[in-house]
Amino acid sequence: MSETVLKLENLSKTYSLGKRSVQALSNLNLEVNEGEFTAIMGPSGSGKTTLLNVLGCLDKPTDGRVLLDDVDVTKLAEKELYKIRRGKVGFIFQTFNLLPYLNARENVELPMEGTKIPKKERRQRASELLGMVGLSGREEHRPQRLSAGEQQRVAIARALANDPAIILADEPTGNLDSKNKFEIVRLLANLNINRGTTIIMVTHDSQIASQTERLLFLSDGKIIKEKRGLHLAKKKLICQHCGSKIQPGDTTCPSCNKVLYQKGEQS
Amino acid sequence: MAIMISIPAGITSNQASTETLTQNLSDTITQTEATINQTLTQIECTLAPNFEGFGFAPPDMGDSRFAPPDGDSGFTPPEFGGGFRPGEFGGGAFGGGGTTAMNETLYSDVSSLENVAAVTLTLEASEGTEQTMEMMGRSFTRLVPDYVIKGVSLTSALFGSYSILPTNITDGRNLQAGDIGVVLLSENNTAFFDAGVGDAINILDRSFKVIGVYAPSGVEDVMNLYMNLSDAQSVTNNTGYITSITVFAESSDVVTDVANAISSLHPELSIVTGQQRLNQLEAMKTNYETALNNAESTVAQTQSVAVQEIIVAVAATSLIILFVMLYTVRERTKEIGTLKAIGFRNWTVMNQFMLEGVFLSLLAGVVGIAIASVAAPTLSGLLLPAVSQAAFPSRFTLASNSGTLVSMALTPELILIALGGSMLLGTLGSLYPAWRASRTRPAEAMRYE
Repeated sequence: MSETVLKLENLSKTYSLGKRSVQALSNLNLEVNEGEFTAIMGPSGSGKTTLLNVLGCLDKPTDGRVLLDDVDVTKLAEKELYKIRRGKVGFIFQTFNLLPYLNARENVELPMEGTKIPKKERRQRASELLGMVGLSGREEHRPQRLSAGEQQRVAIARALANDPAIILADEPTGNLDSKNKFEIVRLLANLNINRGTTIIMVTHDSQIASQTERLLFLSDGKIIKEKRGLHLAKKKLICQHCGSKIQPGDTTCPSCNKVLYQKGEQS
Repeated sequence: MAIMISIPAGITSNQASTETLTQNLSDTITQTEATINQTLTQIECTLAPNFEGFGFAPPDMGDSRFAPPDGDSGFTPPEFGGGFRPGEFGGGAFGGGGTTAMNETLYSDVSSLENVAAVTLTLEASEGTEQTMEMMGRSFTRLVPDYVIKGVSLTSALFGSYSILPTNITDGRNLQAGDIGVVLLSENNTAFFDAGVGDAINILDRSFKVIGVYAPSGVEDVMNLYMNLSDAQSVTNNTGYITSITVFAESSDVVTDVANAISSLHPELSIVTGQQRLNQLEAMKTNYETALNNAESTVAQTQSVAVQEIIVAVAATSLIILFVMLYTVRERTKEIGTLKAIGFRNWTVMNQFMLEGVFLSLLAGVVGIAIASVAAPTLSGLLLPAVSQAAFPSRFTLASNSGTLVSMALTPELILIALGGSMLLGTLGSLYPAWRASRTRPAEAMRYE
């Protein structure tokens, strides 16, 4: 579990706002191992979102390299980048960014658009993912009929559609009340523990950040501090359906055979 | 979109009506010219009817139930320019005025005048149904003729030298001197009577044999049915009466002298010489030619106006689509960013916006066709110059061409062109916005609220 999936080398990003130029990231170095749940904290303007955008290939750095599975994505052309955005990373946004005219299932199917997965399979997979985030039976509901927490669950299901290696979450709990906040972070933690998905989450909220195993503090485009949070992997996992003990990496409960990662299963 | 579709429909109908009109006018001009050539030595004498008002179609034109002539009726020469329709002169070859019966014996002295080559007497009577109509607040009864009986004095001296009978015989033979109990029908008459050469037909309860059929030379003689004068007089119960005397002068040089002589002998007669008639016809021809020119220039004008309007409509439509799509792209920047963030390809995004633009324009095209199919006449009437008003003095009432609202031809071709055009405009208008959407950099798009 210690293989490096993501490596940033001397990463810099400068925005030019008219005549003024703003250094969002300056000479940043970072290594993220497979299966790590990392939180990035920092004041506004410290470069959190820029870092995430560069990681997700949504933005190009001014300088430095981003190695994703040993491939330098900064060298890739736009034509190649969409494949990485589609298959390697999954994005979760603060404002959910669901398409309002599509229902929950269609929103989850969206990233599979243009892949070779057959229509029927996409549908089935989307329903499975929605079940996994606790939204069974809500497949046909449009975003406006879902609560904020439910919408973010749909967004998480969407991020998982193409089974990405890394999930990038930009303030995923920023628009949620405290009950939903913890449910979402637990959902992410379960994904991390049970599926081994690498998660990098930007947050303002120290309570949320403390749920992760690794905390990075960003200021003026540099990592100024690193801290270990609660080590989720050490926590005891139980199945929400029957209460029996489960192991990290289980996708179904060994006792009752039901699909895991359901709402509130983490204790 | 409705405007774009209505205008071509408007042009088509404008053109159609103008073409009919032009055809009518040229026919009339040709007929007029033919008549002019025949007319040079001819002098037409009729008893002027006593009109109440002038300038309108005379009531009871050629009614068979006319009263015997009133010797001292107020004598007014028939004035030209009454309410005639293009291609249709009043009754008879000369027309222009009404016909009043006159006692043939009173005028037997005309033939003995100097320089008179021949005299032919004619009784003309229309048979048909009466119809009451309103005109200028006055109501009067007008006879809608089924056929017009033309009794002509069949004298051997007249045949060959003077054209008093139709010349274009298509079946049977022409009338000959001394023919009694036979008729010469026009092709249109054969349809009305449902009879051909050799058949017997019934005219005012008397049986006549069809001797021949002729092709009418123009609108003025389509309904004429020729027979011997004496037959015509007895069958219409007008024995001894005629409606016009046609005098042929020895030569065109003496026409005026002969006309003056007739005039001094019978001051009550309305006399029209070939020359006068010629002048009238020339004036009429000029009138028609002016109308024709006006009609043609209106068509040209209509087309240039229509071209301008179509250019404006197309430009406006493309701009509207462009702005709507630009707005849409702007409005949905975040959505575009999201789509790109979850792995949409540039051209997938572009495709989506292109499709949207084309679909919207297609929808607009369908709505436009719906509006145009209902409102095309009104719309193009508002936007295009109208043929009837621009080309004609008000006294020309064109029964078959009243205004541009003839028929707005929304043909399947036009509908297809309109749909194709709206799709093309949709494509053009959304090209740039869709391209811009596809080029949106996701990181920037995500910041956009």
